[in-house]
Amino acid sequence: MPVNPRTLIGWSMLGVLLASIAWATLGTSLPPADFTFINGTEIKSVDPAIVNGSPEQRIVTAIFEGLTRWHPETLEPIPALAESWEISEDQLTYTFHMREAARWSDGSPVTAHDILYSMRRFLGPRTVAEYAYQAWYLKNARRYSLGGRGIAPGDKVEVELNLPVDAINTLRGELLHGKLVSIEEIADTGEREFVVEVDGSEQRFRPTDDQDAASNDPPTGIGWCRQVLLDFREVGIEVIDPLTLRMTLEAPTPFFLKLTGYYPLFPVNQKCVETYGSPLWTKPENLVTNGPFGIEFRRIRDRIRLVRSETYWNRDEVKLGVVDALAVDSYTTGLNLFLTGMADWIVTPPPAALRILLKEDPPRNDLNPTPFLGVYYYMLNTNRKPLDDLRVRKALSLALDREEITTKIMSAGETPCLSLVPPGIEGYETQESFEENPAEARRLLAEAGFPEGKGFPRLDILYNTSEAHQAIAELIRKQWQRELGISIKTRNEEWASYLSSQRQMQYNVSRRAWIGDYTDPNTFLDMFVTEGEQNNTGWSSEEYDRLIREAGHEFDPDKRFRLLEKAERILMDELPILPIYFYVSKNMVKPYVRGFYNNIQDVHPLWAIWIDRENDGPNEFMKVKARP
Amino acid sequence: MIAFCFRRLLWMALTLWIVFTISFFLMRAVPGGPFDSERALEPEIEKLLMKRYNLDKGLGEQYRIELGNYLSGDFGHSFKLTDYTVNEVIAEGLPVSMALGLFALLLAVSFGLLAGIVSAVFRGSWGDFSLMLIATIGIALPNFVIAGICIVLFAFLIPLFPPAGWGSINQLVLPAFCLGAPYAAYVARIARTSMLDVLSQDHIRTARAKGVSPLRVVLVHALRGALLPVVSFLGPAVAGILTGSLVVEQVFAIPGLGSHFVQAATQRDYTLAMGLVMLYTVLLYTMNWLVDMSYAVLDPRVRLE
Repeated sequence: MPVNPRTLIGWSMLGVLLASIAWATLGTSLPPADFTFINGTEIKSVDPAIVNGSPEQRIVTAIFEGLTRWHPETLEPIPALAESWEISEDQLTYTFHMREAARWSDGSPVTAHDILYSMRRFLGPRTVAEYAYQAWYLKNARRYSLGGRGIAPGDKVEVELNLPVDAINTLRGELLHGKLVSIEEIADTGEREFVVEVDGSEQRFRPTDDQDAASNDPPTGIGWCRQVLLDFREVGIEVIDPLTLRMTLEAPTPFFLKLTGYYPLFPVNQKCVETYGSPLWTKPENLVTNGPFGIEFRRIRDRIRLVRSETYWNRDEVKLGVVDALAVDSYTTGLNLFLTGMADWIVTPPPAALRILLKEDPPRNDLNPTPFLGVYYYMLNTNRKPLDDLRVRKALSLALDREEITTKIMSAGETPCLSLVPPGIEGYETQESFEENPAEARRLLAEAGFPEGKGFPRLDILYNTSEAHQAIAELIRKQWQRELGISIKTRNEEWASYLSSQRQMQYNVSRRAWIGDYTDPNTFLDMFVTEGEQNNTGWSSEEYDRLIREAGHEFDPDKRFRLLEKAERILMDELPILPIYFYVSKNMVKPYVRGFYNNIQDVHPLWAIWIDRENDGPNEFMKVKARP
Repeated sequence: MIAFCFRRLLWMALTLWIVFTISFFLMRAVPGGPFDSERALEPEIEKLLMKRYNLDKGLGEQYRIELGNYLSGDFGHSFKLTDYTVNEVIAEGLPVSMALGLFALLLAVSFGLLAGIVSAVFRGSWGDFSLMLIATIGIALPNFVIAGICIVLFAFLIPLFPPAGWGSINQLVLPAFCLGAPYAAYVARIARTSMLDVLSQDHIRTARAKGVSPLRVVLVHALRGALLPVVSFLGPAVAGILTGSLVVEQVFAIPGLGSHFVQAATQRDYTLAMGLVMLYTVLLYTMNWLVDMSYAVLDPRVRLE
């Protein structure tokens, strides 16, 4: 039979089709993991220094480890890379004794030099670590990370010289150490020149990037450099010997040992970083880690497969062999995977489903919402009229029915709140604002010149696009309308625009939330100091600033809390923000998962988790009784 | 033919340049930037970041630099998935989206054509009526509704397939069906209409009169003519189906390009968004081109000029 060329085209196309399907799907079936969890969105990076989201936190804490780590239940710092430590009388000097058995995944020991290198890298302006301020408790760390802005004539400085353009991008240029003589602004350009005394002679440096330095000769009498910044030897971190490290702090910091176990401060391997450069060093085949797990492979928007590290000092206590972190964005899909047994832990089910799941009878054995350190609040732009009037702000707060919000819209037992700092921090008494009182609210509004809401401008509530935020904004709009007679609009913007509107203070009322970085009221309260980067309210109080500053220098933990309480009192009297509710964690965890604890920061280290299929009682996750 | 291809190539270059220019300026006109986050950056640090990505320069200068990079095939690093280059993201996501898309397409074309032909041949019957009803529903129902129904039916009530995930054939079935269903419906309706048109033409009557078997008349003589409108619908559809669908990929947690498309835009990941827009443009253009060429193959009356 003669072959018709057209038929041939048809058949060959079908062949290509089938072959490509086979190629895309075959050979990718994986051996199942011991433990699978839904990690939310695709992570930004595995580099501890540059990430700051919860999905990243879960991965970075699995593969790296710091001087301390957090107890999975109490979150108290416990020994990790550091076997023990001493704290000086004045609480300013910490001496860490490092574990001899600690190893990188390439077999080399983890030493004090690694910590020093990583801390310098973390603080160095060129790393662009958004979280660098987490290490500013170290002496001079802040000035170091501010680069050229952090130094003044007379300071000891280091000058980093340029490297060739094709050099590995994580290498540092040659360093010259000297004393800063002066900083001179160059007319017109806004750039600066640094006059530095090096080895007894004055030299002039102008910062520029490697590209420009390589292609242009500097003007006579001037040298190119990458940057001029504080001499890192001035920063409070010092290697005594390979296994002993001393850190000196700016001020007593009661939560410092928790910070050394916080992922941005985890060490990275210098050899790995400097051999491959960024971002190649983060590829699983190049990456050298020191944590309980290593990365076997990453597939974008699919999964990160973690395997137990064979070099981790505490490997015998890590029970899980293979862990899959699935990058699943949709809550519903996550819940589907959980219910069909394809995932063992999801961070949250979709809100609508949560309501139904919580009503099930008998109660589910895999869901146990518990309060943690997170607060949802509304910011008021106090630069705008009439929100600059305390009576108006107070009226808005008094007219809110927070109970209605948490019962009607929220579903997991979120608690209405009148303070910024959530309860649960031992020894700290939260300071509450005034309780709901519509009559008083109306009186105050009338006093401020808006009797029964007459003449009140049509303000709007800004929120980032999301069903839950929208529902809350609408309800609050109705409550204010009902109690005060004022009419308010709502306005939604997607995430990036919403952030920039807040930053530029182009809003009247805006939703906001904050999750504590560490278990201390300071993580909430220091946001609202004058010029604080989170303080987009325009509100400022000298007394408040003074209290926060004093608390930062207070040795006695009790007195420190009293100072912070006074500060919160001011905030809750002046109300640049309206607290609305405290968060609860909404994890769903299979009953056979053990070693998973509900805790106040909603973090759950993988090294503590194990699988026990015979388990028939409630696991650790269900044991902590949820609030009624 | 060669002149035709050459001219098309020139047009493609022009189209790409225009799309590039428009997307470039549109993206930067939207408020908010890639480095906005809830925690404000120190101004010093922000300046460094801006410099690293050339965002500190004027728009014209940025445009010139980025166009230069594209011409040399360097799509740059993703702003948000910082461990990857744009090329890597595409290289990982595109095969997945394509495999899913091809499978969906296979389902769409085979079911669609079959339904269309049957409806046309048995025009006015109950079969015709119910097939077209299903097709209308298929067009009217959005993807996520079909996906939801499929998951409830085939993952929970009758646990045949996993509800999500990627890597094995049985994880491919539900998403491919949901992705292909609306296309199948379109194909069915188009095939029916054009089939009816062809069936009433003279050459079909001649073939019937000659005593050609009814099956052969339909499948050989009529189908070839009826395929043309289907093919012109499929061209652009293929580009869309191959680059992935946000909804289906999100619902079934499939690591394709669809979710990158949307997230890159909302997160102001300038480089990734631009890379994907250009990829989509190339695919769309190529598919239309192939469609034009296939006319010549399917219909001898068409000459490429």
